[in-house]
Amino acid sequence: MARDGESRSFRRKFCKLCFDKVERIDYKDDRRLTRFITDRGKIVPRRISGTCARHQSQITEAVKRARILALLPFTSEQYR
Amino acid sequence: MKLYETTIIFDPSLEEARVNEEMERVTGPIAQAGGEVIEVQRWGKRKLAYLIGKRRDGTYVHVKHKSPPTLVAEMDRRFRLNESVLRHLTVIAPKESPKEEPKAGEEGEKAAAATPAVGE
Repeated sequence: MARDGESRSFRRKFCKLCFDKVERIDYKDDRRLTRFITDRGKIVPRRISGTCARHQSQITEAVKRARILALLPFTSEQYR
Repeated sequence: MKLYETTIIFDPSLEEARVNEEMERVTGPIAQAGGEVIEVQRWGKRKLAYLIGKRRDGTYVHVKHKSPPTLVAEMDRRFRLNESVLRHLTVIAPKESPKEEPKAGEEGEKAAAATPAVGE
């Protein structure tokens, strides 16, 4: 039985991209990028996804490029 | 001269022949300016993530090329004027990471090495 206060189990976040040993995130790889945007189309912050600084900045750039090419949405239309 | 990647989204109503024609107008000047077209990928018709000019789809073409920077500026100007181009994006191509490709090769070799062993 978990003690009070410890019932919320902590799990250390880790960078999934480092785990997969991804060298470079490509803006054309929209399937991989969808994992790092919310259902509203926002970029998931590091504190949530646990990505490392290097990969997060790559994600940011890639998502922004993919949005220009309409591979990813700027915003999800159903919420408008 | 730098290595660039250009992605162009054409109007989906353009026929194959028209797209080819448009592509010649892109690749032609590259060769003329002393550049080099390295690869042309046609992604075909894809659904857009949002509407562009009331269109749901677009015909995607991806070109890898070596061009002088002045030509890239000129290409950008022409794409803007061209009404059959819905969107375009040119970025400096990342340096090739040799890590990923040998991986696939290794697996292939392993599989190839494994099969004869089983046969014997």
